[in-house]
Amino acid sequence: MSKEQIFVGLEIGTTKICVIVAESRAEDQISILGVGETPSRGIRKGEIVDMATVTECVREAIVDAEEKTNVEIGNVWVAITGSHLRSFNNRGTLILPHPRQIEQADLDMVQTNAKEIALPPPNTFLHTILQAYHLDGNRNVIDPLESEGMQLEADFHIVHGVKTRITNHLRCVEALNLEIEDVVLSSLASAQVVVTQHQKDIGVLVVDIGGGTTDYLIYLDGAVRHSGVLAIGGDHITNDISVGLKLPIARAEILKIQEGSATDPAASEGGVINLKNDPGFLGCDIDRRSLGTIIHCRVKEIFELLKRDVENAGGDLLGLLGAGVMITGGCARLRGIAAVASDVLDQAVQVSTARNVGGALQTFENPQYSTAIGLTKYARLITKDSHPEGMLERIAQGFGGIFKRGSR
Amino acid sequence: MGVGNAGVTILDLLAVENPGKKGLLVVNNDPESLSASVVTERIAVPEGDPGEGFRAIDGEFGRAVSGASSVVLCGGLGGGSGSFLLPALAILAKSHGITVAACVGMPFSFEGRDKKELAEGALEKLYTVCDAVAVIENDRLSAGAPSTTAVGEAFTLSDRTLLASFTALHCMISTLGPVKITRSDLKNVLGIPGTRTFFGAGMAGGPNRLHEALEMAFKSPLLSAPGRTTPGSALTGVPSVLLLLQGPPDLSFAEVQMAVSEIERIAGESCQIKTGVHTDLSAGSPITLSVIASSGGARRPEKSVGTRVSEAAPETDGVPPRVEVLKAPPSVQGSSAQTTTTTSRKTSAKMPAITKQTQGTLDLDTYQRGRFDKSERTIVAGEDLDIPTFLRRGIKLTPPHRN
Repeated sequence: MSKEQIFVGLEIGTTKICVIVAESRAEDQISILGVGETPSRGIRKGEIVDMATVTECVREAIVDAEEKTNVEIGNVWVAITGSHLRSFNNRGTLILPHPRQIEQADLDMVQTNAKEIALPPPNTFLHTILQAYHLDGNRNVIDPLESEGMQLEADFHIVHGVKTRITNHLRCVEALNLEIEDVVLSSLASAQVVVTQHQKDIGVLVVDIGGGTTDYLIYLDGAVRHSGVLAIGGDHITNDISVGLKLPIARAEILKIQEGSATDPAASEGGVINLKNDPGFLGCDIDRRSLGTIIHCRVKEIFELLKRDVENAGGDLLGLLGAGVMITGGCARLRGIAAVASDVLDQAVQVSTARNVGGALQTFENPQYSTAIGLTKYARLITKDSHPEGMLERIAQGFGGIFKRGSR
Repeated sequence: MGVGNAGVTILDLLAVENPGKKGLLVVNNDPESLSASVVTERIAVPEGDPGEGFRAIDGEFGRAVSGASSVVLCGGLGGGSGSFLLPALAILAKSHGITVAACVGMPFSFEGRDKKELAEGALEKLYTVCDAVAVIENDRLSAGAPSTTAVGEAFTLSDRTLLASFTALHCMISTLGPVKITRSDLKNVLGIPGTRTFFGAGMAGGPNRLHEALEMAFKSPLLSAPGRTTPGSALTGVPSVLLLLQGPPDLSFAEVQMAVSEIERIAGESCQIKTGVHTDLSAGSPITLSVIASSGGARRPEKSVGTRVSEAAPETDGVPPRVEVLKAPPSVQGSSAQTTTTTSRKTSAKMPAITKQTQGTLDLDTYQRGRFDKSERTIVAGEDLDIPTFLRRGIKLTPPHRN
């Protein structure tokens, strides 16, 4: 493997389609070479509703990235989201006839066993993420390979989704003659760059609020413990504003970005926001408190739903988070969002952007790009030629290429 | 059967839209209105003493309804013709041993207090006679309309709704189609005096026809609880709902199921949904979905049901008191079990008192999914998350001030 390997991350989002071209650097680092981007059309709530349009948008974004970086893009890593994605934890067990050294085949077998579970008929596995190995009752064995034992167990976090919806997502990439390296859950990709290894070890909740969906993922003891997708995002806030204040969508979007705040309006001062006349739009005065109420209600609800889902997953996961909550995604830029999240989830909340990423561009400072950057980082981690050592790599090894094998 | 001026108008609408439709009959005491009607079967009630008039048409009426097992009366209450003719004709029909259903329009309050009182009185009489009465309250109908609505439009809306309910009732009572609503179901929902009728109809074609029709039906102002703008809110907690689906032969089982489950979601699990399906429309025609339910008696103080037969006769303006048939037909009950698709969980439905009209609620138009209107719904714990949170929570906003 050459020292400067190129990784391309493609995120087909509800708001924008984003292509990140990055170069591998030493020590698991990546450096961003360039970004290609187009506004999305034909996508609702993270899922494709108009294939031809989306394909065209993806093509534009890829071409944009190629022009900016002078890299010919052939292989991409694709992020996926959507309300159809579901997850659960399961344990696989393998009992050997007599004690012997554990081989790679045994590890594969235990993973296969963990997937021996009936999914709903239209669904397929997306990720089988390793949480921990247990060997003969010895819990949390980092690497059981070559150890001697008889009963090998492994916990996995399994993500699955409706097969046709996943393949549709990929079809618009394949239509452009691009090779898909792998498909990665959006929140998993984002998490690679917005939280540190230390945070993953002590427990952290990553919330990626995009245009159409809110993706979240909980790390505990360095392993993925829970993940979910909520089909609500920034678009809903814009739509609420549009409905509530009777504004066109485009106007509502601008208002949200320029004046929007998720802070509880009861605490803020009132006043009016004057919207100027535009062609086809009669100017008006907007009550700032009403705007605040609309946004606050929606944002609060998002976190309440998220909290309910995490609580339903059991195990008091929220109580175990040592590093609190990290919010990223385009919506993370909404003023006051961290405070609302903190109120609802009763956690320390931080807005986070991509870290440990190099490059001349300051792209990583924008939380919008976390998923796409995360994809390249993820790619970097699982295509490493050296034998995995750290916790992260170990996890990565568990799911490399699963989707490829499963879907073709 | 269209009765009175409004009834004639509505039957005309029906006849114009469905040329060649059989079994339509208009009755009025206004010869001008009758002669202008496109419906060929007409009975003119002579002017003057109503009792005399009815005796005069009894024979004619008997011939017209001979062979019929049921009749659906339709008209407006509050005017000079419908208010008298409807109850009288209902009694007349009953005396021929026919099941009688009526759908009537109540006047707008701006039409005057005396009209309203006249209508209320007539309605009470109707309830004592008819097996089922669907009441279309014009006031509630217009509550959802924008303030700029022209008077003419308001009446058109009222006529249209009456027509839709008339068609639905007719379809239900004629019990055609593979899945039937029995007359006893109809009586259970619409035969209780002093209740408020909730009615909504939707019609749509195309690939998403069922959802669109459902949505259209739910958006009907008559399906909104007083003071609330959430569509279909009136259905919450009602003991039973009549659902009628009319469509081309390709109306699928899944669509019927979807409609039932959607109504169940709104109405609650204890609600009994009686479904009727008619697939006799021509291929390619849109589906029509009608939802009828009634509330517990909050519209007016409920009269004791026991008084209905005895009091009915002397009140009815000198009509021959031959109304022994007014007992509820218990025999129908037995056969209903096999022919009705009952989606009930608990049949012990109590009549919930409906909430009193709250004042001062800011009217936020109808509810809106905005740009998500056509996209897949995001339903979590029974809430459609695409509807703005503040709307679902009923939070009031200061509307924008136009410059």
